[in-house]
Parts: sequence; structure tokens; C-alpha cells
Amino acid sequence: MKVPKFEYAQPKSIGECCKLLEEHGANAQAIAGGTNLMVALKNRLKVPKMLVDLCCVPNLNGIRYSQKDGLNVGALVTLRHLVADPVVREKYAIFARAALDVGSAQIQAMGTIGGNLCQDSCCLYYNRPPMWRQGLEACHKLWGTVCHAVRRSKTCWATYCGDLAPVLLVLGARVKIADPKGEKVIPLSELYSGDGKVPHTLHPGQVVMEVQVPTPSANSGGAYLKLRVRKTIDYPLLGVAVTLALEGGDGTFRDVKVALTGVGKAPLLIKAADELKGKKITDEMIEGLAEAAYKQAHPVNNASGLTPKYRRDMVRIYVKSAVDQSLEAATRRGGGT
Amino acid sequence: MKTTITLQVNGDVYELSVEPNQTLLDVLREELALTGTKKGCDSGACGACTVIVDGEPVLSCMTLAVRCQSKEITTIEGLARNGELHPLQKSAIEHDAVQCGFCTAGWLLSAKVLLENNPAPTRAEVRTAIAGNICRCTGYKRIEDAILAAAGKNTGWRKKM
Repeated sequence: MKVPKFEYAQPKSIGECCKLLEEHGANAQAIAGGTNLMVALKNRLKVPKMLVDLCCVPNLNGIRYSQKDGLNVGALVTLRHLVADPVVREKYAIFARAALDVGSAQIQAMGTIGGNLCQDSCCLYYNRPPMWRQGLEACHKLWGTVCHAVRRSKTCWATYCGDLAPVLLVLGARVKIADPKGEKVIPLSELYSGDGKVPHTLHPGQVVMEVQVPTPSANSGGAYLKLRVRKTIDYPLLGVAVTLALEGGDGTFRDVKVALTGVGKAPLLIKAADELKGKKITDEMIEGLAEAAYKQAHPVNNASGLTPKYRRDMVRIYVKSAVDQSLEAATRRGGGT
Repeated sequence: MKTTITLQVNGDVYELSVEPNQTLLDVLREELALTGTKKGCDSGACGACTVIVDGEPVLSCMTLAVRCQSKEITTIEGLARNGELHPLQKSAIEHDAVQCGFCTAGWLLSAKVLLENNPAPTRAEVRTAIAGNICRCTGYKRIEDAILAAAGKNTGWRKKM
């Protein structure tokens, strides 16, 4: 499969990059690691006239940490680079875990943090070669009027399948976004639109520059569990991220957060988790949390491997396991003593 | 519009004029005739096209050649030095870790990166490192044995004479 023709630019500053992207609007496409984009280009899902390469933009490549400001990761840091960082491994173990669960060693060496957060949503009827797609009417994501995954649906049901987003959501991350007018920092959840067709809220000319993750508190632990068929390569058919912090001694939640991926149009932060703050941990409470997550998850029939029902049923089980593992990790760190 | 780039492949420097939409894999195979690197799925899932770029294992089918300006690239052709096979290659032959051979170039390079970063890997670490390289013939056991043996580990394997 040949990549379609395009003009290619390597801007040397973030300002130049945003200007180029804004100028060419819908005809421009930014490229970071390219692992997600290259397949879309080969399948003619994206046919940009101008490809803007971020590789030469300075200062997007670093990892900085301080106790006060937390972790700052440049958008172009590769997953492999992130995982190799001792601070990330120690203080943000679930971030490293999720990065290790993305694709293969090769994809981790190429794929970037920013690119992973901005990856397109997936659908069995969309992520296909042009010949295959010719046999079907154009779907919403291809600017048509039908959905093949959910019959008679008026909207697109393509699923958000990033691994890092749920983990960064539960860690309370924010993203720094550059646009031609300047820079702004927004909570990560605002990066996602909840629309299968256009899953991000970025406008033409906007680029994710940096991810900012606050320092986790001392008595906290987390887990990321990923359901898939082939242990390498596959996108999550379900991903569950949990972080929780314990009040010292008496087994009370100071904070608990749960997020899902692979079962909705955007990464989903489970709202019911907020109500558990300051309450004593019981089995019923964890059951309730799993039930709330189950209700918020809406996998549809647009991924190969496992049925939507199975994936949804697994939400309960994965949430419970992830909470158990997080409790164990938090206790190990001194939360339960 | 064609762009002129400089590629360092296996220690040789090439000045090439490439289209921005050419992948590194196509340039290696079609412009430089280095056909040891294989085109498998051409969509980043099989690992047959793995090459080493600046010390990292990279899928050449998913890399645009214009992005490799001045980067150091190692392909399977660069593994043997002065007619002497790389220890991994020798080990692969000794362990019969090659059947059809289509995946071999890819996993050898993945293994080379692994051993450079971790000279004494466990079997689990070997599996993780080559998980992105699909082999449909060997069942992986002999590939793992070959890599572990190249790292100096006794895998209990004896070649029958």
C-alpha cells in the first residue's frame, strides 16, 4: 500500500507549526510518531495535502519532574523513553504500565505520548482498506449517513481505544495546547469530544505540547488492566484504570478514581467514584462502583475478537480486580498501616 | 516534490532523492536494493520490516524516509561484519530457528536491540522484546532459545549430529 502524495513541512518552532496547520485547515495533518496515522494514510482514511512533521519542533522531547509541579512530559516523548524513565517507573507506575501495554516494542519506540492521546477512534467498518470499504455505503465517520456498527444510528459509534488517556484521567492530568494565539492548559477530559466522528476538541492549528501530571499522594496506589485477544499490538477491547488514596490506618478512601477505555466514544471517567471519598471501604461499595462503571460502558459491535456483551460484562470484573490491585499497591506504600 | 536526504545505512552514507510519501521500507528495498528487510502486513502489525534506527527497533513500513535524515540505520545486511556472522545469526542457524525465513530479519534486529540494552535477558523479557514479530512457522521456542543462547544462557539444547 502506497502512502498518498502530500506536501511535507518540517517547521522549526511550535508557532510556525500552528500557523501552518491553521493555514491549511482541514487539508493539513500533523504527524508525531506516525504509528496510528500511517495506517490511516495507507487506507486513504486521511488524505492530507500538507503533512506537518512535529519532529523538529524543539522542547517537546523532555521529561521533567519536581515534587511541587509533578511530572511534565513533552508530547514527542516516545513510549519507550517514558517507560525507561526511573521517576515515571517509581512514582507513576500505572502510567508506565499502560505505555508498556501499547503495541509492540517497535510501536513503543516510535509512538509518542501526544500522538497516543490524539489517536483517532476505531471501528471495524472504518479502519479498512479502500477496496473493502467500497462494498459498503459511506458511514458517518467517512462523512456519509449510515452507521454499520449500530443500525439506524444517526451518529458515529467509533470507539476511543487509547491506553494512556484513562490512566492520565485518573491521575488528574492536564494538557498544554498550543495554538497560533498562544498556549493554554486544559484538563485532559476536555480534549475529548465524545463524538465518534471527530473524537477530539482540537481546532485546526492546535497541537498538544505537553502532559502535566500532578504528584500522586503518598498513600496511593493504582492499576491498569487491559482486555484484548492478541497480547501485543491489539487495541484495548476494554481498559480499566484505577487510582485510589487511603486515609492512614482505618481503611477509608481519601480519593478514588476509575476510568474506562475501549467501551465508549471517549475515555470515560466514572462519576460514581467521587461519592466514595471519605467513606470506609466495604465490599458492597466496590460492587457498587463496578456496577456504576458497567452502566456507563457502551461497547458496540465494532471490534473483532470479543462480543460487546462479553466486553461489557468484563467491566464489572476488571473494575473489581483493578480496585483490589490498587488497594494492595496503596497498602504496600504505607496507606494501610 | 522530491527531497534530498542523507541516510546512513549499515555504516554507508547514501544521498538520495525521495518523495515525501515514500516509506523507509520502500527506499531500502527499491532504491538501495537491501531486500533483506521484508514487507509483510505493511500496516505495522507483523514486525517483518523491523530495522534499527538510532538504536531503537522501528517498523520501516510505518516510517517516512524523509524523517530519517542523518539517522543511523541498521538492516539485516549490516549484522554480519567482514564476512563473519553476528552471534545472533550463528545462534539462529545452530538452533534451527529459521524455517521460511520471512520473519527472521525482523526478530534478529529486535533481539539485537534487546541484547544491547539487556545483555542477560530472561525468557519472559525475550518474549516481550520479540512479541511484535510474528512467526507463523517455528512456534517461537527455537527463536527464544537462539536469542538466549546468544546471550550466553544455557537453554539445554543440543544439536543432534
